Amino acid sequence: MSASLPHRSVANIRAPTPSSRSGSHRERESSSHRDRDRDRGERGDRDHSGTSTPTRPIPTFNTPSSLRAEEELIVIDFGTRKVQVGFAGDSAPRGVVWFGPEQQRRIGDFRDWQTDYQQDWRSKAAGGNWGRDYELWRPDVRGLELGQVGDKVEKAVREAYTKYMLIDSRPRRMVCVVPTGLPIPLLSAALDSLFHRFQPPTVSLLSSPVAVTVAAGVRSALVVDLGWNETIVTSVYEYREVASKSTVRGGRKLTEETHRFLAKELGHVQQDNKDDKQEYVLSFEECHDIANRLVWCKPFKAEKTPKSSPPQPASPEGEGLATVEESDEDEPTTTTTTAGEKPLPPPPKVTTVPIRSGRSPTSLELTFDQLSEPCENTFFDSQYSLSSFDDHETPVHLLVYRTLLQLPLDVRALCMSRIIFTGGCTTVLGLRKRIFDEVSHIVQERGWDPVYGKAKEQLRTNPKLKKRNGRQTTMNNNNNNTSTTPGGVSPPTAGGAAGEGTAAPPGQEEDGIWHDAANSVPEVDPIEAQLARTNPSPNSRKPLHGQLRAIESLGPWAGGSLITHLKVPTVSTIDKDQWTQHGVTGATVRAADVEAKTQQRLSWNAMNRGGREGKEPWTLGVWGAA
Amino acid sequence: MFGNNRLPAFHPGLTQSRIRDTTTGSRLWFPGLRSAPPSESSPSDSDPANDQLPLPITPEDLYDTPMAPFNPYTYIRCPCSELNPYAKRTPDVTAQGLSRAAQDDDDHTFDPRAARSNYSLYPLEYLSFCEDCHQIRCPRCVAEEIVCYYCPNCLFEVPSSNIRSEGNRCTRSCFQCPICIGPLAVNHVETPPDPNQLLSPDHAASSHSGSYILSCSYCNWSSTEIGIKFDKPNSIHMQLAKLRNGGETRLTAKERKERRKEQASQGGGGGSSSTAHGEEDLDTLLDMETQFANLKSFYQNQLSDANGTGKAGGDASAALGNLGFDAPASLSRIMSLYTGSSSLHDKKSKSRPGTMREALAPSEGLQLASLDETSAITALQDFEPITGLDAYSSTASTTQLQSQAPYLGASPLHGLTRFTSSLRPISYLLRTKRSKRCPQCRHIISKPESKVTTTRFRIRLIAGNYIPTITIKQLIIPGLTPPPMPNLPPDTIEPLKPAQFVLTFKNPIFESVRVTLATPATTPGRFPSKVTILCPQFEIDSNTDVWEEALKDNNATSSSSQSQNLSSSTGPEGSGPGGRKRAGTLRPGTAGGASLAGEELGPEVGKVWERGRNWTSIVIEVIPASLVQTAKRDGRGPIKEDEDVLEIPMFVRIEWEAEAPEDEIMPGLSSAKGNKDGGKEKRELAYWCVLGLGRVARTL
Repeated sequence: MSASLPHRSVANIRAPTPSSRSGSHRERESSSHRDRDRDRGERGDRDHSGTSTPTRPIPTFNTPSSLRAEEELIVIDFGTRKVQVGFAGDSAPRGVVWFGPEQQRRIGDFRDWQTDYQQDWRSKAAGGNWGRDYELWRPDVRGLELGQVGDKVEKAVREAYTKYMLIDSRPRRMVCVVPTGLPIPLLSAALDSLFHRFQPPTVSLLSSPVAVTVAAGVRSALVVDLGWNETIVTSVYEYREVASKSTVRGGRKLTEETHRFLAKELGHVQQDNKDDKQEYVLSFEECHDIANRLVWCKPFKAEKTPKSSPPQPASPEGEGLATVEESDEDEPTTTTTTAGEKPLPPPPKVTTVPIRSGRSPTSLELTFDQLSEPCENTFFDSQYSLSSFDDHETPVHLLVYRTLLQLPLDVRALCMSRIIFTGGCTTVLGLRKRIFDEVSHIVQERGWDPVYGKAKEQLRTNPKLKKRNGRQTTMNNNNNNTSTTPGGVSPPTAGGAAGEGTAAPPGQEEDGIWHDAANSVPEVDPIEAQLARTNPSPNSRKPLHGQLRAIESLGPWAGGSLITHLKVPTVSTIDKDQWTQHGVTGATVRAADVEAKTQQRLSWNAMNRGGREGKEPWTLGVWGAA
Repeated sequence: MFGNNRLPAFHPGLTQSRIRDTTTGSRLWFPGLRSAPPSESSPSDSDPANDQLPLPITPEDLYDTPMAPFNPYTYIRCPCSELNPYAKRTPDVTAQGLSRAAQDDDDHTFDPRAARSNYSLYPLEYLSFCEDCHQIRCPRCVAEEIVCYYCPNCLFEVPSSNIRSEGNRCTRSCFQCPICIGPLAVNHVETPPDPNQLLSPDHAASSHSGSYILSCSYCNWSSTEIGIKFDKPNSIHMQLAKLRNGGETRLTAKERKERRKEQASQGGGGGSSSTAHGEEDLDTLLDMETQFANLKSFYQNQLSDANGTGKAGGDASAALGNLGFDAPASLSRIMSLYTGSSSLHDKKSKSRPGTMREALAPSEGLQLASLDETSAITALQDFEPITGLDAYSSTASTTQLQSQAPYLGASPLHGLTRFTSSLRPISYLLRTKRSKRCPQCRHIISKPESKVTTTRFRIRLIAGNYIPTITIKQLIIPGLTPPPMPNLPPDTIEPLKPAQFVLTFKNPIFESVRVTLATPATTPGRFPSKVTILCPQFEIDSNTDVWEEALKDNNATSSSSQSQNLSSSTGPEGSGPGGRKRAGTLRPGTAGGASLAGEELGPEVGKVWERGRNWTSIVIEVIPASLVQTAKRDGRGPIKEDEDVLEIPMFVRIEWEAEAPEDEIMPGLSSAKGNKDGGKEKRELAYWCVLGLGRVARTL
């Protein structure tokens, strides 16, 4: 028996009995590959009986590690403050690189590490540049050096490569998770930098709201991205973005409000002349730190607002408190206790905040009521009437409501029960709940009716007009759980067609045409129908819709990682050669063209794939074309 | 322009320190070594002009930045930053960009103050040199390969297969303090025996009372502050992964997978049974890792259901799963490997858009948000119960949070820790040893020894061995240089007065090198200073053996003056007997009276200042702009950090003749010109560099 042989000899190859060889081979599993290959080759020549056991049972499927390494896809999530980089399929990014002034220093400049070094933030802040060093880009590209954006991207990705990913500089395919509203020059600068410095064969673009939706496990969602530059509310329906609105109320504004608040507490009189010539008394870093640590959000107070939103600039308690306390800071008095779930005990809780970056280091004693003030001013500004805001500075809760209101009925019904909060400002304690409560309050108060105010109230209470809508009103009364009061001119209400919602008027008059939603047959959802066909289990739950609900998401990076890992093709995949030839101008405007062409091409030469034509159209998808 | 014309006449008012300098014989003044500040008086009393100015530039502004001693520096700009293939094409929307594009065409000077230049400037020590391409290579333009992975704390090498599976951090017992990032040590603690646990059976007691902690010797932090103790002193990483802050245990990913497998085998059906019991735990908190795993398996199920024909496809994938492919994605990856289709263009999924539903239960990855954060708010407002700290002190700072490793055991948004009590010890990030290659010719530029503990290199082509180093000293000739203004802050250059600097070029290579310098007449940027290179063309002798130099010392004088004549562009006057030549260490000040009387007229135009074995010094003259006046005029705010440093962009072109590689004409090498005669080959290298000369005083 060759089991006794420690090594395989030539004689053993040449003259074994076929039966003994198969047995001996298994014991020689640990012998070298070359031996085995030789062995197999000989068997193929001489031994066609097929009765012997396969020589390499499993190892055939073990892919060589070099091929596996090539499969590494890199997912990059671009944010304004940080870049997250990792491998597709991981649950969290390997590395997060924050932008900051240290990163923009020359290599070999170690002054940050000198003990007596203090950053001269004051001169840098001049000309509206307070905190600009901490951002990758800003949405306003006027006066922005695009090459520098590219440099920043490169440095951050390189740092992620060497420090966190620990990979060499072999070209790898990349997937970029990018906010939808990113201006094309910025996108182009970032892509230039990636293609030039890292030489990826392709870069695919993923929209971050969709990635957030995927990372929550749903198909439709309302993504409230409380980001740095702005808060963007995007409605995603069946993985497509259908509506998006934004407001400047984001992390940057929160930090600025914190600065304003701290400056006021320090006794600096702020002349409020439109932020252009604003003088900064504290460094960005310190204000940002305090905002991160201590600023919180008060819970929603139901009795605060009267039934219909008052047009006069009311003074709610939160704001009144702040203005009172401005005069006497030394003994902070809580004139009001927060009503609701969490009553404050009479001695106000105080924290001592050291201030280091001012002209002279001091410390401030701040009450928690005061510390909620920046958040209040940033996201809600509830001392002003809701009608007094410009389009770009809508308070966040109103923005969420308006986005929902704008949506078609079915989409709204799905989106309102899948609200996802994401972005950096979700760390502000209590902010998500506050927004959610405010939105549900507006919904309770107004329903899904774009018309509101005194005139509408009058219309509602006017008996003469009521008569005309008599039938509808009685039906409303019958339909017991209507928390809203739909007027005569109300547009479709969420959940109306589905019949599950809290607000369900059975029929409306829209543009003079009578829609009897109660008697109409609900439209068949093809996907639901197919799902029901393929998976006819009785206890499968219907997806919830028609009521407000918030769900968690793992965030855009994890979404991008999931999508890439599942090999879902992206609409916008940019080839390196094409980008090198044409740049952003080569992109086709319409994604539909590309899809049609790609399908055509696939049907044409499904066989000789790999012969990539240079004229193959490609698109930037939702990011548009230059 | 001639520097001599600008030199003012002899000034009688020499300060004490100057005279002392002449007596010691040193003719060069090091700005950093000047003995005492001439005067510390504030500029407002001595400078009445300052008071009249209406703009709000206060004396505070002028002296705001701490005056660290300034060391002159040289930065080199890697030529790779000019090679961006996209630079021309990108539509530059900025007005700045348009105006720059107009200049860009041929006459493009480099602005060291531009926002981008910080990214392309390197000290000489950071640069490598490709011997085959004859080109400088910076960290941005080399291709890197990884030699080995190791932990910087325990210096253990980590095999590369572990990087993908175990992550990028040390999985042994190496941790950093979450407060101060100092290294943590494992310490043994004596726990007093708990009477309750003594009564209870032995197993329960021993399993839960750990007796090892991590502690920081720098800031006295210990893991007891976050309620974590360990049973064993080794493999802390594994133990920590199973513990939440507060000592609560948690399942690791592997355990969870096994548990899920058990459930699936018990329930049989998988999806439908999980939704049944998914009803009640809809509000259970998933941590990030679990949610991701759940989502992943949910999507994979959905996709395989959608792509395969209903149940059959699911069965097929399940059957394959038993063979060792637990996920259909891995199957499709293998398939794509062998069919050659790229993963992003998965034809199958494209041609058949599957139907899939959304996740409905936590087991499928759906996580309802618990928006109620009142407990955290009260925790913030109350004093920390253990340490008695108030809200500010009990929260973690931004930098502490940023240095935290991503902790997957926390639920998504609550994972963003806020309190110091929720920080976790930071496992050390692994590091790599990398070898570097030239991206063009693929030759190795640098290759370290593969053993972790050695710092030696097998191959290391650093640029300092190929291109001349430049050192800068301020030139002060007693009697010629005017004395500084009395109220000048120390270590600064006086604005609007000519100042001279000696640049010493040292040649590292064994061929003599001809250097051509060019600089814009005024420095670009906000504060234009006038710059004149007195001798823009010169030659540096080869880096020969020191002894050879000593032997040749006698006739060195004539040869070097000849070579200087050849290189000097300014014509006949350079060839005269007055051509300045200083040999090495010989200083005219100590040499004798002749030089003092006849030749001490300061630097001359077109003449090399000093020359030695493998080095040559030349003089550069600058007239710094007045910072304060310019800042007032242009209205672009106060002087920013480092804007007071006088930085000069200088274009350096070096030519030398090298031994030609035997009959080998390398393709694509622009720098190596095939001008061969007698086995010699002419080479040239050109690059921009930046000289930081000194701080300009913020007076006047």
